[in-house]
Amino acid sequence: MSTLEQTAVRVPAAPAPGAAEPRRRRRLRPTQWIGVLFVLPASLYVVVYQLVPVVYGLVLSFTEYSPLSRSGPEWVGVANYFALVGDEDFGRALAVTGQYVLMVLPPTVAIALGLAVLANRPFRGIGFFRSALYVPHIVSLTTVAVVWLWMYSPNGLFNEALTGLGLPPQSWLLEEDTAMPAVAAMRVWKALGSNMVLLLAGLQSIPRELYEAASTDGAGAWRRFRHITLPGLRPILTYVVAMDIIYLAQGFAELFILTGGGPLASTTTVNYLIYTEAFQYNSFGSASAMAFVLFGFIAAFSFLSIRGIAGRRS
Amino acid sequence: MSSSSSRGAARRLLALALAGPVLALSACGLGGPPTADPAESGGDGTHLTVWFPGTNATEIELVTETIVPRFEAETGATVDVTFLDWPDMSTKLNAAYAASTAPDVFGHGPAAVADFVANERLTDLGPFLEQLDAADREDMAAALPGGQVDGTQYLMPLSLQASLLVYDADAFTEAGLDPDQPPATWVEAKEVARELTERDGDRITRAGLLLPSHPIGLQQSFATLLYADGGSQISPDGTHATFASPEGTEVLDYITDAYSGEQAVAGSLGQDLSTLPPAQQPLVSGDAAMMIATAPQVQQMMAADPDLDLRVAPAMSFDGSTAPAAFGGAGPGLMINADSPEQELAWEFISYLVSPEVSVEYTEGIGAIPMRASAASSAYVSESPVLQAFLAAAPAMVPNPNVAGWVQVRDTMARHLEQAANRKVPAEEALSRAAAEVDDVLGRAG
Repeated sequence: MSTLEQTAVRVPAAPAPGAAEPRRRRRLRPTQWIGVLFVLPASLYVVVYQLVPVVYGLVLSFTEYSPLSRSGPEWVGVANYFALVGDEDFGRALAVTGQYVLMVLPPTVAIALGLAVLANRPFRGIGFFRSALYVPHIVSLTTVAVVWLWMYSPNGLFNEALTGLGLPPQSWLLEEDTAMPAVAAMRVWKALGSNMVLLLAGLQSIPRELYEAASTDGAGAWRRFRHITLPGLRPILTYVVAMDIIYLAQGFAELFILTGGGPLASTTTVNYLIYTEAFQYNSFGSASAMAFVLFGFIAAFSFLSIRGIAGRRS
Repeated sequence: MSSSSSRGAARRLLALALAGPVLALSACGLGGPPTADPAESGGDGTHLTVWFPGTNATEIELVTETIVPRFEAETGATVDVTFLDWPDMSTKLNAAYAASTAPDVFGHGPAAVADFVANERLTDLGPFLEQLDAADREDMAAALPGGQVDGTQYLMPLSLQASLLVYDADAFTEAGLDPDQPPATWVEAKEVARELTERDGDRITRAGLLLPSHPIGLQQSFATLLYADGGSQISPDGTHATFASPEGTEVLDYITDAYSGEQAVAGSLGQDLSTLPPAQQPLVSGDAAMMIATAPQVQQMMAADPDLDLRVAPAMSFDGSTAPAAFGGAGPGLMINADSPEQELAWEFISYLVSPEVSVEYTEGIGAIPMRASAASSAYVSESPVLQAFLAAAPAMVPNPNVAGWVQVRDTMARHLEQAANRKVPAEEALSRAAAEVDDVLGRAG
């Protein structure tokens, strides 16, 4: 009997229109039970510690809720979301968040790519070079921010350097024009290592033969980079950009330590506003609504960046 | 059995297994925290949990290794003390209340009290206080009002806190000023500050007068000057803002002019001086000649540089037309969780901490102003001109209002004050906008 015939024999007859489909209880085989049991702990972990808080957060966004209240959340429908539409502080925080991502993402990816290309060449001390660049990534963001806070302070390293050059010291974190660039510079430095390592892995996955063939055909360094390296890096570049958008749009710790959201709210991101709303003003409902609007923006921009870099088919 | 049907059964099984916890947890959360009745749950009077705010190593050591063990030895009770970082305090308390795991006793600043009261989370300490001698209560009279909401005592302050003008006597002498004659008003202070300010071109290299100017500090500077000018922040019934007044505009212009313009006496608007280590404080580093500071700050600066001759000016009027006033009053204190089954033991612990001897021992350990008037005769105060000056200002101290939603009110004020201090909007307009928003916050909180 052919495969086609075997399949035909196994296909059950379609039930007559209007007839009730016979309900059959199917039992799992012992091996399948074992599979379920193996999956269950991890699934429970994901559900209890990740899915439930998200679902609960979504539910809270339709309520008015102070954790101090004895009455529990009070259902207010979409009022929290409507309130955000006309909320100047939230609108400004969204703009600041976008500005922060734009200030950090392009230079981080560009410099990390340059460093990855450098680190992809064999030379003496390459291991140390790669490790040194990766170190900022393994240090806690809070610790890094505290160190940079000292470096930006009036008597800190940067002002000492400026004074040494005969230039006037700057109030890096106290001026509206310089606070965000100062935070962004720290974040670029912090993010370089991880981005570089990912891009380096991407570079090393590009077949050498392509470069050799291109060289044989007379392609110069720029054309090899443009037509082999960049297309070859596309998958990992997509990942790097998407992850950077997700992390940067949730920026909080570095801003909390370096600027406290100021001066003049110039570094108050949406996540900072959420923290204030939830933990300073005890408004968990509106804070949750902000979180889900932010989630929507992050998801949309991540999707657009993936589409833009990886292309529609990917 | 086909593989697709068994996969379907497995999926259904997993879905069922996972839906249980999801629904259970969601239901728990939406139902709100259960309310404990202290009378019903009844503690056995032997164990107490206490959360203290702060991470001051000296305070932690003093409380956990000296004061608490002594209390335990005297009462036979056990006390679990946890110190929490200030920024985490509200977050953890809120979470603990939501989960009905809040401690029996906890510390916080007076600004947080009204919100706890509005949600019926605190025990009224009035009946406990009435058990004390009248003389004992009178001894704490300067501190107690700061722990009251609508006249009811909910927080027992452990110290007083105040912000006064502190100056470097040597800088006065160098500038030809008499260090024994500090400014008598804030207007005079700025005139003196102009003489003390040093410049390198347009840049101020030594501030003549530094006012706290980071957002919360800016609100405190504004309150300091507003009280000194006879103004107020909130109406007595706590329903609306009163700072958008001629006095408010006058003092906000004073702050703005201190930081910018030709007559500026300070730079680095927005810098948070409270986070700087003592050795980097402007009076120690020579970056300022006068600043507003608290008692612990002054003592830490003097410890960082023992050769420094720092002096404290008395509470001042703004321009001499009103009575002197200083921003201050009750410092952080302790409250009793209304749901605690250990009400009696909790009060016993608090009253032990504020007893005359222990109170002085505690405030001396953290360099704070004692909350009892009788502490003036203690060696800790009598040997310290700085503390004597701060304690002498106690009758003139005016605290922030204790109203529900105060943290949001404060932040709203700070945001608009910052706009004016940076000359983004005129003082009058900034105050008017702030008042409208504050009224809204007070309306919702009330």
